[in-house]
Amino acid sequence: MTILKTTGVTKQFGGLVALSDVNVEVNENEIVGIIGPNGSGKSTFTNVVAGVYLPTSGKIEFCGQDITQKTTHEKCHAGISRTFQLMRPLIGLNMIQNIMVGAMFGKGHSLKEARKRSAELCKFLDLENVERPISAMTALEIKKMEIARALATEPKLLFLDEVMAGLNKDETMEMINTVRKIHSRGMTIVIIEHVMRVIRELTQRVVVLEWGKVLCEGTYEKVSCDQRVITAYLGEEAEC
Amino acid sequence: MKYWKYLICAVLLIVAVSLPKFIGVYPLQMANIILIYMALALSWDMLLRTGQLSFGIAGFFGLGGYATMLTSTYFGFNPLLSLMAAAITAGLVAALVGYSVLRLRALYFAIVTLALGEIFRVIAQNLEITGGTEGMLLKQTMFKGDAASTYWVMLAIGVLTIIISIIFQKTRIHYASTSIRNDEIVAASSGVNIFKYLVIIFAVTSAIQGLVGGAYVQLYGFVEPTATTFSINFVLMPITMALLGGLYTTWGPVIGAVLLSVIAESLKLRIPYGHLLVYGIIMVVGILWFPGGIMGFIKKMFKISNQ
Repeated sequence: MTILKTTGVTKQFGGLVALSDVNVEVNENEIVGIIGPNGSGKSTFTNVVAGVYLPTSGKIEFCGQDITQKTTHEKCHAGISRTFQLMRPLIGLNMIQNIMVGAMFGKGHSLKEARKRSAELCKFLDLENVERPISAMTALEIKKMEIARALATEPKLLFLDEVMAGLNKDETMEMINTVRKIHSRGMTIVIIEHVMRVIRELTQRVVVLEWGKVLCEGTYEKVSCDQRVITAYLGEEAEC
Repeated sequence: MKYWKYLICAVLLIVAVSLPKFIGVYPLQMANIILIYMALALSWDMLLRTGQLSFGIAGFFGLGGYATMLTSTYFGFNPLLSLMAAAITAGLVAALVGYSVLRLRALYFAIVTLALGEIFRVIAQNLEITGGTEGMLLKQTMFKGDAASTYWVMLAIGVLTIIISIIFQKTRIHYASTSIRNDEIVAASSGVNIFKYLVIIFAVTSAIQGLVGGAYVQLYGFVEPTATTFSINFVLMPITMALLGGLYTTWGPVIGAVLLSVIAESLKLRIPYGHLLVYGIIMVVGILWFPGGIMGFIKKMFKISNQ
């Protein structure tokens, strides 16, 4: 079943067309990868769908509901959640309190219930010592905490915007396993990534963006051998 | 540790309530001033916890003052009812105005709140029913100016403000405020209805400021638009006190208000005209050496001693 459908989504910043006529569908319980060179509109797409920007034109449907004009928090309540390309912890709160924000305001849980659910999420994502301030956490922990904060809103669709950026090889492996674990709980995930290994390991379908347009779409194997994708993004050296 | 806190609060409260038995009229007047500034500093800090810097304290303070004066004079409200009118007027006006003003951020919001206060002042100064530039006199101050009773009213307002502040710190409002202050995009993406929380908090803190303004008028029995009721003092003093005491805490602004009011008053007696200079030096030194305020310093000490 299709849960997210964008039809002709266009986003302009003044004269700059960041997204032009983007049609993407995401099916339930799928992991979709979005790849493309820098500036191709990957993050803008996330921002338009998850609500930070309103699209200039086009239509976004989520679970059969038109959410095009909804504000950020309304989209969160509808069931779309996301993490950010650059880490954005709430530094005035500690680890579990960060996650509680999602549980309380995304899902409307009481303080007590939010704490309980956040503690469960910490356990699920192997986050320990949950009362630590942000300053005492590693980059991997902060990234996981941000995923937990997004999951705490109990979304139907999760956007992961370059979660692997800045992680070393071992940490990347751990993060791949984490994403698998989240997916195995029945989550639908859209993952934006530059690391092709991550895309190969995780996704069932890949959308390639270039200059704000969908260049092509298909399985990893199909996309990575597509001559246009090789020219625009992967480079000649890439192996099929 | 937890019970100690409650015990200290209980003892402080008993001492504060029984104060009129032990001290004279002048120290009680002093205590009233402290409580006025304390409530203003604390309410200002409560809004700052959402990241919104307001210079509108004097505006809502004056608005409340005039509401008290007008309802007592024209409708014959009794003092407590007129105080309620002050809080409700300030809260309602803040909610209405906030509906458009709270779309602004940072300096723009700060400047507009300052301008709001000016607008209230200009209106009060030019209407006939508010007494124009001369202001108005209250027929009778509350409890006929009885020192102990008026002090208890002021104490009730101070305690109420502290309780509201603690509620703000212990409930989901704390999480909404902090997330809005830290990162609005993250807050909204996590489902926080930023605008709703800002309007609620702006209305509540303005209502407190209005209430205090009303109490001020009931204490001193007059309104006067230019130098007293909308005085810039009611903006600058509370902000300084909160800064010195420590932002984003309940007890910081309380400590700051007590300390600075006492220092200001005793300096005034010792070195007339020179007291402002000393006062300024204390401020500069405090802010330079204790950027987290007194509460920040205390917390740091606790951390070091725990390690």
